[in-house]
Order: sequence, then structure tokens, then C-alpha cells
Amino acid sequence: MKDSPARITLEEWDARYAELRAAGLREPWYGGPLRRHVDEGGDYRLLRLRYDNSAAALRLWNFLLTEEDRLREARRQGKKIVGAMKDLGTVPVMAYSLPNVTAFYPDGAWWIPCVMELGSKDLEIADSLGIDESFCPVRAMLGAFLTEAHFPVPDLLTCNVGATCDDFSAIAQRLNGLGFPILWWETPHRRKPARASGGGTGEDAVALPGGLIAPREQMDFVRSELERVRGAIEELAGGGLDDAALRDGIRVANRMRRVLAELRQLAYSAPVCPIPALEMLIAEMLALHFCSDREEAIRVLEELLEEARRRVREGVGPLREDAVRVFWVNPVADLRAMNILEDCGGRVCGTEYLFSHTLDQIPEDVPPMQALARTALADPMVGPCSDRADRICRDIQLFGAEAVLVSRIPGASHCAVEGALIHEMVRERLGLPVQEIEVPPLCDAVAPTIRTRIEALIETVKARRKP
Amino acid sequence: MCPFARAAVETACTEPGAAALVATTTCDQMRRAAEFGEAYGTLPVFLMHVPSSWESAGAHKYYRGELTRLGRFLRDLGGREPSKDRLAGVMEKMDAARRALLDARPGMTSSQFAVAVAAYYRGGVLPLGLPDRGGEVLNSVPLAVVGSPFFEGQAEVFGLIERQGGRVALDATTSGEGSWPRPFNRRRLREDPFDELADAYFGSIPDAFRRPNSLLYQWLRRELQTRGIRGIIFRRYVWCDTWHAEAQRMKEWCGLPMLILEPEDDARLRARSISRIEAFMEVLR
Repeated sequence: MKDSPARITLEEWDARYAELRAAGLREPWYGGPLRRHVDEGGDYRLLRLRYDNSAAALRLWNFLLTEEDRLREARRQGKKIVGAMKDLGTVPVMAYSLPNVTAFYPDGAWWIPCVMELGSKDLEIADSLGIDESFCPVRAMLGAFLTEAHFPVPDLLTCNVGATCDDFSAIAQRLNGLGFPILWWETPHRRKPARASGGGTGEDAVALPGGLIAPREQMDFVRSELERVRGAIEELAGGGLDDAALRDGIRVANRMRRVLAELRQLAYSAPVCPIPALEMLIAEMLALHFCSDREEAIRVLEELLEEARRRVREGVGPLREDAVRVFWVNPVADLRAMNILEDCGGRVCGTEYLFSHTLDQIPEDVPPMQALARTALADPMVGPCSDRADRICRDIQLFGAEAVLVSRIPGASHCAVEGALIHEMVRERLGLPVQEIEVPPLCDAVAPTIRTRIEALIETVKARRKP
Repeated sequence: MCPFARAAVETACTEPGAAALVATTTCDQMRRAAEFGEAYGTLPVFLMHVPSSWESAGAHKYYRGELTRLGRFLRDLGGREPSKDRLAGVMEKMDAARRALLDARPGMTSSQFAVAVAAYYRGGVLPLGLPDRGGEVLNSVPLAVVGSPFFEGQAEVFGLIERQGGRVALDATTSGEGSWPRPFNRRRLREDPFDELADAYFGSIPDAFRRPNSLLYQWLRRELQTRGIRGIIFRRYVWCDTWHAEAQRMKEWCGLPMLILEPEDDARLRARSISRIEAFMEVLR
């Protein structure tokens, strides 16, 4: 059996899976060949992707693609299901702190049109409701709710609004108008604490994850909003969600974030890239919501981390050593885009997928509700673009990226403005080449354009490398 | 970028004598436009967070806090903190202006009303010669205009509607009556004008950005019936997600003929929009 790291197709995975099984691979209950997700689940996009060939990657993919089964099993077992929308990393930490509650992000439906190559009709349903392609692909969520084909209707739906995302807020409101009750909770636009003026004292400030600060008043407000969420979860669960349980929940979430932090450090800074971009994207996504099984999500990431460590030790990886180090901004609606970068001779060295606050540790030295409020306020979408650009610049330097790729989300109203600001700030401060692409849920039709733009970026970096 | 947000920030940043730019977070586009203004302009920028959610006491309190913060910002620019009486006086003046506008509306053409509303927004000063209460423009089809705000120079649409035999009996756009607070409570105005100010605005504005947006539909139901509206012209700019998402729901909900327009980013109506309004009015007449 060949154990050297490689990126392989689904067809090659059939043979690889047989090899691994023959060599004694032991899998969890959701294991099996990847092809079954195509044959049984209609996930046709898998036929077009290239995957890491490790057993750890196999487990990661199988875990991701069986979330629906876990949610239905949770319902069968009588667990309460919370659909957390838009907060990206806060409400699930609360929900998983109770043993009879599980949580997931209906937001994740934005990948359904990609994974099923539009076979799910979710976008058509959104169209029929007046939520057309001028909205972000997360509009697929509407179809998913109405058909109930991808996840069970949650017992409680929460949605973070305010300074979060208009696309999402508008789509969630449409959902609400269709008869789905939603608990709305607010996060204000994060601002800098006021400085002292006129002989007075400055505004009381608190530190947030990611090196940010905010006025204490804002944190107190978000905490009070999260208290409403806590009350709703308690009512749903029929039991108290006390601070001790929340502290435990935060500790476990932080454990996962530590695993992910080391994995990112290795994947984005090792001389030879140990784990490809696509698997890293999925790994980062797991930190948001645990893919409906918190403990197993940690085990899945730990195995991937172990594989990364081994490869780094041995100096091997699926990509060439001279791959151009690219920092990736924004998540992609089509997973294939991550492959294209590597096909063009690039590798991902740092990411900002709009949820960098879930990569940071949740503070454990303050009361838990306060800690969660600080985390929610650190959301990159909540603050000014300049904060986001600061972090991007910092991480570019940390991981030694040589170029930046800003991937716009079609229809997402924040992207058009943010992309331009980030583009300019990165180029001005670091002098790195920046390229923008737009990735629709199925990028095949525009793949040549995307490829050309990425190739131009790669060539620019290579030219700059020459002495 | 949304043409309204861009025009608002560009106008503020190039307006001679402007001391600052005050923007709100009621949409992403305006929030980011304010950032542009701050990054590339020379004016101090104040970005006020207006909570989308309104059902919790915390959101009301936060809004009041933002008004206080705005007050401090204006004071730092050289303004003076108003006494209770002075604040109440200004509020009374604005309240009276809104009342006068509504009273005069039946005797005004749509264009006249649009001009008067624009004047009100420039500081509560109404044009001279508002008609007395009770006048009426006869034999025209009453319409509502709902959705994204107008900016100056876009009032041409009102004239076009009139020429086609209609009149805008309800301007429910963000720049029209849809952004007006409820009438102030006289007793509370005397006792605690600031509290009444916050409550009258935050507690009653029926806009599409609010979560939930039930206030919008409650208000529209009442006003559409009261004013005998027979058709709706719905406006939304490119990138205006909050209004855009309401278009189809509103169409299904109101049971009235509805024309959805996507205004261009300049003041003049384009031929396509003109034809569509003409066709719409032809159906309604």
C-alpha cells in the first residue's frame, strides 16, 4: 500500500479505500467508501473534487457528509435540536453544554447546491420565494427548510442580527414570514471605546478574542441578548443551563479550537504543505458547530492533526515544496475552487473565512456568559473592515503568505465593499499581490476565468521570487 | 454599492460647511459606506448602531445609549447640551411639522408633498403655502410607494405618476412617512423628552430592517386601508437586501397590483422604468 500523501480523485479513492480496509482500517459507524455519498446521497460534486488520500481525511469527509443522519438520530433519541443561525460559533457552545440538546447551523445549507450539483432544487425554491440570485447562496437554506430533505426542522431557531449580514437577516426574515418562529438576538456594530475628552475619563473597555477591544457597554448588551438565548434553551431542554455547565462547554470548545490552531499552524506554515486546502476548509468549519457531535468532531480533528504532524516530521505532503503561499479571504460556495488553487501551483497559507473569532480561544478567566459575549463581539463581520484587514495582515505575516486571494461570494452585499477595502489595505501595508475572484455555487462555467486569475497571481509571485 | 448609500456619503463628504457625517447601521451598505467616508474623507464620522431587534428591553436601552453617545459626539464638535425645555421645544416643532404635512396632504399633488417632505428632512422647515386641511386631488388613483429611500432629484417619479392619472397617497419608503416616529405623547414630552424621543422612534418605526419586521406589515395594513390604496410601487436598489427580500412577500400579502422597480443610480428615470410605470397606471385607471 502506498502511504505517500497525494491528492486523489473519487475514483482513485475507491481503490484507496479497498487498500486501507485490507490493511486493517477501523472506522466509526459513519465510515465507508466516499462513493456511497454520490450513489445514495446524490452528492455529485464529489465526482469532481480531489481529496487528500489519508485515512484521517476519509474520516473527515464521512463525518461531514453524515451530519443529517446524526441530526435525525438525535431527534429519534428525543434530544432537542437548536438551529443556530448566523452567529457562527457562539450559540452551539451554549447548546452543547446540555446533554439533551444538540445544535447545527442551517447556514450550512449554502453548500447543498454545490455538493448536490443543483440537484436539490433548493435554489429554485428560494427563487420562487423572491429570494433570487442577487442574494448570497445561503438562500438555499429556505429550500432546505421547506423540503426538510437535508435536516429536521429545529425545535428552536435563533438568529443573530444587527451588525451581522443583511443577506442572512433578510433571508431569515423571509423564513420567519413563512411561519418558522425565530428568536432574534442582536450584536451591535463593534466600535472602539471612546477616548477621554473634556477632562472626563475614557469609556470602560474589555478585551475580546483576537486582540480586539470593545466598550464594556457593548459586551454587557450582547451578554443580555445571550441571556435571552440561554433562557430559550433552558425552556426547550426543560432544565437549567448554569454557569458550571457553560464553563464545561467552553472548555470543550476550546479543546477543539486548540487542536484546530495547531493543525492550522502546521498546514499553513510547514515548508511542505501537509494537508490540502479543501480538507483544511472543512476542518475549520467543524469548529463552528461540531457537525452535530461535539466529542466525535474533536476526535476527527485530532486524527487529522496526527496525520499532519507525521507528514511534517517526515517532510512530506501532497503538494510541491515550491507551491506559492496564498492567503485565502472568504469562504467559497464551490469547494472545487480550493482544488483549482492547488492545481495552479498554489497552496493555502492562512485563511479568513469570515469566522476567525471561532479560531480563537473563548476566555476562561471571566464568567461564561461574558466570555461568550466577548466571542460574539469579536465576529469579523460585526466590526469595521479595518479590523478584519488588520487580522488578515497579521496572519499573512505569521504564516508567511506571498499573495492574497479574495474570493467574493456572489450576491453577498458585504463582499463588494469589504473586498475592495481589504484588497487596498493589504496591498498598501504589505506590498503583496492581491487577486479577486468570484466563486458561484457551481464554478465550472467560470472555472477558466478563475484559473486564469489564479495563474496570474501565482506567476506574479514566482516572478517576485527570482533574485 | 447601493447608490443611495454612496450618494449619501459622497454628498456629506463634499458638502461645504458639513461638520461631520452621521450614519446608522440599519443596512450593511450604509455601515460600510460610512467606513469609506471615514477612511477616505476628512469629516469626523459617527456610526450609530440602531438595533434591528426591538422586542427586548435591552435593545431599547441600547438605542437610548446610542442617542446619548450621539449627543456627546455633537457636543465634542462644539454643540451644547440642550435643556429639557429646549429639547421638548424642538421635538414639538418637528411633531407639528409632521402633523401639518399629513393634514395638508389631501390637497397636495404627489410632487408637492415630496418636496415638502424633503424640506422637512432638511430641518423641520416646511415650504410656505401648504394647503389647508380638507383639500383633495380628485379623480386620481391612490397609490403607495414602498421600499428603498429616494434621494434628492428622484422626485420625477411622482410627477410621472400624476401625469398618468395617479397620486402617491402613501409614501412608505425609508425617506417618507415610513421613517416618522409616532406622534409624541404630550405628558411624557414635558416630563422626560429624551425618553419620549427614544421611545417614539425606536418603538414605532416600521422599517424592513427590523427583526421581526411585523411592525411594517401592521402599519402598512392600517395605512393601505385608511387611504384606499389601489396599487403599490415597490422600490429597491441593487444590494438593498432588506427591502428586496420583502418584495414578493408583500405582493402575496397585500393582494394589490404591485410594480417592482429597481431605481437607477442617477436621478433621472430611465425609459424602461417610465414605460413600466405608464403600463402599470394604465391597468389601474
